[in-house]
Amino acid sequence: MKKTMVIDLDRCIGCYSCEMACKMENDVALGVYYNKVLTIGPMGTYPDIQQYQLPTICQQCYNPTCVDVCPTGASFKAADGTVMVDKELCIGCKYCMMACPYGARSYNAEQKVVEKCTLCAHLTAVGEKPACVKVCCSKCRFFGDIDDPNSEVAKVLKEAGAENIHSLPDRGNHPSVKYILHRKTAQWQDLPPKETWRTPHQSGKKEEKRHG
Amino acid sequence: MEQQEQSAFGRRDFLKTTAVIGAFGALSGTWSDGLVTRAHAASPINQERAGTKIVKTNCRSCTADCGVLAHVKDGRVIKIEGNPEFERSEGALCTKGLAGIQALYHPNRNKYPMKRVGARGENKWKRISWDEALNEIAQKLMEIREKYGAEAVMGSTGGGGNPNFLSCCRFCDVFGSPNWFEPGASQCYMPRQMVYQMTYGGGPSGNPSLGDSNCIEAFFYNEIKMKTFVLWGTDPSYSGPSQAGRALVELRARGVQTIVIDPRFTPDAAKADIWLPIRPGTDVALMMAWIKKIIDQKWYDHDFVMKWTNLPFLVNTKTKMILRENELIEGGRADTFVIWDTKTNAPAGLTYPWDDALEPALEGTYTIKDVEYKTGFTLLRERVAPFSVEKAAEECGLEVVKIEKAIQMYAKNTPSAIALGVATDHNVNSAQAPMGTATLDMIMGNVEKPGTILQRYAGGAIGDLRSTMLKKFLPEAQLRKRLGGIEHKGMLRWWVAQPAPLLEAMTTGKPYGIHAWIERSGNKLAMVADASKWIEGLKKLDLVVHAFVYPTSFSAYADYLLPMNEWLESDFITSSHNRMFARQAVTHLWETCNETFFWARLAKKCAELGHEECKRAFDPKATAPELPYFNTYEEQLDGWTKYFGMTWKEYIAKVPFDNVPYDQWRKYYIYKEIDSRTNKPKGFGTPSKKLEVYGESFIVLGRTGRPWTTYDLPPSSKDYDPLVYYMEPTENRKTEVGKEYPLTMTNGRLPMYHHGTLRNVPYIRELYPVAEIWVNPIAAKKYGVAQGDWVWVESLRGKIRAKARVTEGIPPDTVYMERFWNPETLDSPTKGWQEMNVNVLSKLTAPYNDMFGTYTLRGYQVKISKADGAPQGILEKPEEFKRWMPEPSDAAPAVRL
Repeated sequence: MKKTMVIDLDRCIGCYSCEMACKMENDVALGVYYNKVLTIGPMGTYPDIQQYQLPTICQQCYNPTCVDVCPTGASFKAADGTVMVDKELCIGCKYCMMACPYGARSYNAEQKVVEKCTLCAHLTAVGEKPACVKVCCSKCRFFGDIDDPNSEVAKVLKEAGAENIHSLPDRGNHPSVKYILHRKTAQWQDLPPKETWRTPHQSGKKEEKRHG
Repeated sequence: MEQQEQSAFGRRDFLKTTAVIGAFGALSGTWSDGLVTRAHAASPINQERAGTKIVKTNCRSCTADCGVLAHVKDGRVIKIEGNPEFERSEGALCTKGLAGIQALYHPNRNKYPMKRVGARGENKWKRISWDEALNEIAQKLMEIREKYGAEAVMGSTGGGGNPNFLSCCRFCDVFGSPNWFEPGASQCYMPRQMVYQMTYGGGPSGNPSLGDSNCIEAFFYNEIKMKTFVLWGTDPSYSGPSQAGRALVELRARGVQTIVIDPRFTPDAAKADIWLPIRPGTDVALMMAWIKKIIDQKWYDHDFVMKWTNLPFLVNTKTKMILRENELIEGGRADTFVIWDTKTNAPAGLTYPWDDALEPALEGTYTIKDVEYKTGFTLLRERVAPFSVEKAAEECGLEVVKIEKAIQMYAKNTPSAIALGVATDHNVNSAQAPMGTATLDMIMGNVEKPGTILQRYAGGAIGDLRSTMLKKFLPEAQLRKRLGGIEHKGMLRWWVAQPAPLLEAMTTGKPYGIHAWIERSGNKLAMVADASKWIEGLKKLDLVVHAFVYPTSFSAYADYLLPMNEWLESDFITSSHNRMFARQAVTHLWETCNETFFWARLAKKCAELGHEECKRAFDPKATAPELPYFNTYEEQLDGWTKYFGMTWKEYIAKVPFDNVPYDQWRKYYIYKEIDSRTNKPKGFGTPSKKLEVYGESFIVLGRTGRPWTTYDLPPSSKDYDPLVYYMEPTENRKTEVGKEYPLTMTNGRLPMYHHGTLRNVPYIRELYPVAEIWVNPIAAKKYGVAQGDWVWVESLRGKIRAKARVTEGIPPDTVYMERFWNPETLDSPTKGWQEMNVNVLSKLTAPYNDMFGTYTLRGYQVKISKADGAPQGILEKPEEFKRWMPEPSDAAPAVRL
């Protein structure tokens, strides 16, 4: 079993609803983002340009380096395949933040622990979908068990076709989150280009947030 | 590892992030502030959820009314989600809607009525009671009315901050003042709505404004017949992500091709099949090229144009009026129009709807009794003749090949449709642009077919039900005094005055003085053109009242501040297409008041002071068929729901329900249906029952004010043009101004802001903390500006700062900004409107659109240069917005005035 998320970038319209709903649901501090929407592009030269939006979340790796480096066992892989943080065990050493190639983890200064997207485990545990999935204006986000061929995530991936399925760059950690993007919408960028939508202030700890 | 075996559910750390704690934490600034203790957090999830009540309501962070599930615990709103029952949004919610909680519990809300105690602008206030406030304001209004006339009192409203649009208009009608305005109206929606109403007659919602909950056909994407959708100056992914933006995602996913005409590379442009980054203000030149090409190539629907438009009718080239049968022959009918019959080579009245005995000419110039006539089609062809694709390419800054490709796609891959956005309402071509798009969709026959957006689904908009003008209360003599009203009679549609002459009257007392301003909206100074000029006018007023949800720049210049409801505190009728819903007050805080009720109470106070019309406005016999004012808001709600034969309580228990049965509601080809009274096809809602591409009604409007008045007003200085025409923006790159100010400014929506609202909501401000200016890398290099630099932006009117976003997504000679103001500097000399407010730069002066008096908010000239840094005192870092995180506030009883 591997619970994860599939995000269809052909549909995503960059409205930031998921980013905000995540913050409301999980009480994420100002300047911290579990789920940050990046604008990739425009690429090319005016007027022949392309662009897509890239919602970034914890990539729910098969081989999570954040778990490997955790000295206390606070970062762990749960039975459903999700990567989690047990805040009671976390000592806030931030090794995992350094180990994560995507900058998906952040430090909670109030609680002095590291936190990240939990795929809204508190909601999925009671049969609801993660907040970002429920709120999504373009219905571009899918949650479920990628190992189950009957799950919604498996179905949308099958329908998209292998050539249109992408992952963030793999550093041996094997990310499980999949992105759908057809060439007609835009060319997938293996190394996301410099972000232009946000100022450095906006992304908070910019250097930690960059991926790829 | 052992932990891997543990289930996620049940672990205490996950409990900390339950919805309840999360949102409570948000209320207290940070979760550790302790509204909910960690021990409490350890209780089982289901128990915590059990104490939560879910109220179905509707958002009003913009005008789209998305369905909302408000989670309420211990009287506090702790979470809001989308309501999947609401068809238009299907459970989606945008950032603006999600901001509802932080807006509701904002520490800086207007909580009580306040009276100024220091000098204007000093920001010193004392709390007074509602009764004192209304008494004092009404007293002052009555004095001004006595001394200068009712027209010296001006009202205003706007789209932001939970308005009931026409309540301001209604008060002014009753009080006797013709002078109310909003920064929208002539600059937002009214031109598109009125032009389509007069040429198509599809009712208030039969027009192509996606952002105003129209184009309903686009929402039936599962069965869509549409092949090509043109998004002209509209960006649904940003302006309405949860509704029109969402529908568009579904249309694209089903293979509908899109053409986006917008200088800005929006997400919709990025996903379009063709993007035409047009020079701001030149849209009508491009429309005319489209029309010409379609006529020249004979791509229009010939049969439809002949039978269902007025283009075959003969037009007197001197009077510009269409020839009627009674002018041609004795005993002819006044409602039968004359065509040229090619069979007999003579003019003949064409009996509605069509006469198979005749062979009308579509084109030609004819002489009848020594008078020259041309068909409407010939006049149209002549009008667009100069607009070749090459000419449009040059004028609009586009590539010939791409324009050709777009016209072909629109004309060949059909059914097609054009959605027209607010962009063209922002310059002097505001009337001509909808005339252009209406002409295109009408000659293409894109009307009432499956897959087209011009439809007359029964029931129409329920807007009229909720709030109405009381036109007949405004005496004709007062209407004649409406500033700008005689010259720009298109404004009669919304019964509204023109901003520029209002400011002139405030400032100079000409043609008469304005002495009081009752304003119900957010920050007028961030919305009106040439904002600096308004300060002088404001300072001269005897009375300024600001009724809103929180203080804005405008408040600094006011004498009274009145606290208004947030949408989570209000009750109102709402709908999703044909399905009725209700906005329901989820809580109520402080002494905030419902807006509709506030205006009614102000009228009541005036009535008590002897204002006869205000008194009569509470009498249902006097206001019939419109509703009167009511003494309580409960009675008002019951008054509205009486339409459905029920009380408000019964209504909220019954929603959602269909307004009209579904099969009667959604029908195509209404014009072909047989009217039982005439035994003829119903046709369209125009005087000729044909699509009036030749806009004779506009001439009548300019000469008399009809159909929006019941009596004739003096004519405007010149006739309105019955056909689409193009006016180049007067301030442009080619003129002298262009040498000093080489870049053309455009605006456009962002997904996280609606008009001037939400700049004080922490989670919104961190998404977009300061005003950006989009600059193409070529321009950036030329003017020494780098990514993220603070830059000066200057026009002939003023100077502001913005942060550079250097991007290929904007033409090299165009820049883009969206409206902005800074709540954090309200108490500084700038009052928060001078730092990065693009409307310090925009143009208030003539020329105006002839029909609507529209001024120029887009398509004027600016220059940019690198600035040393940010404006003083502005907030930019996410942590800095912590000061605006919600404060826990207990519910308070509703205000009884």
